[in-house]
Amino acid sequence: MAQVARGDRRAYRWLVERHLPAMLGMARRILGNGADAEDVAQEAMLRVWIHAPRWQPLAAFRTWLTRVVVNLCLDRKRRASWVALEAAGEVEDPAPHAGERVEADERERWLAAAIADLPARQRVAIMLTYGEGMTNAQVAEALDTTVSAVETLLVRGKHNLRRALGDMIE
Amino acid sequence: MTNEQLQIFLDRRGADPERWPESERAEIEWLIAHSAEARAMFELAQRLDMALARHAAAQAAADAAVERVLARLDAPLPRQQASFWRLPAFLLDWQFAPAWPRMAALACCAALGFAIGIAGLDRQIDRFDRITVAANTIDMNSVVFETEPLIGARP
Repeated sequence: MAQVARGDRRAYRWLVERHLPAMLGMARRILGNGADAEDVAQEAMLRVWIHAPRWQPLAAFRTWLTRVVVNLCLDRKRRASWVALEAAGEVEDPAPHAGERVEADERERWLAAAIADLPARQRVAIMLTYGEGMTNAQVAEALDTTVSAVETLLVRGKHNLRRALGDMIE
Repeated sequence: MTNEQLQIFLDRRGADPERWPESERAEIEWLIAHSAEARAMFELAQRLDMALARHAAAQAAADAAVERVLARLDAPLPRQQASFWRLPAFLLDWQFAPAWPRMAALACCAALGFAIGIAGLDRQIDRFDRITVAANTIDMNSVVFETEPLIGARP
């Protein structure tokens, strides 16, 4: 990061290649939309370059970058409202012969729509926990809040999911 | 622990016993083993956790998406925002000269000062100063204009 702060483009490229896949995946999980996730990941990586001279090593770079991505995702979710459950489209399935898994796809579609319907911070807390494998303390750091606040988000988020999914939870 | 408290615990900590605190694990496991309702809640929490993990895994970034973003970042980068502390940091970091000549000059000064002190040159300089001061304090008016006290002659 010190080299990036001095304008070293090779060091920046190395940093981007190292962290971009994880940040892009996280943005996609939070936003539920590939195109938006790419925009957020690009914006986050540009911020790394622009703000590198002012970066203070108060936390690990990865933690700082995670916080940048989470905040950009939350900003984007504030601007764009989520589609209604009925309007949610089909979930992409990368597996071959997806037609044979209609029932599983249907459950997945309902789950994706239920997650999309969650309030932004509940959704972020759940995706960081289950997508990134973070502990509650790490999620609290990424959201710049307390562990008890994260636990409240998880309790409310899962309650909302159970209510939305009913007996569709496999 | 009531069922409601168990549900809150499972939502806060997840359904993986390995992530539960040691202090509470035994009590929760006993409750799940002895209560059908608690066991049902635990199994439902496990299914929800698995569904969320599966959903999250399916949303991983594809290589093509990574390549697209990398290609977009190949464009000319914007100007970096300079830090307020950049100039002082730059000056502090600047090497005015290689380190060893500076250290050698400092050592020479110290050695010269030590030699002057040992040789007593400073005391000779001090004595010369005292003669000069004494000469300056003689009253030149009395030497030039006053009468000679023994014969009364005027200059």
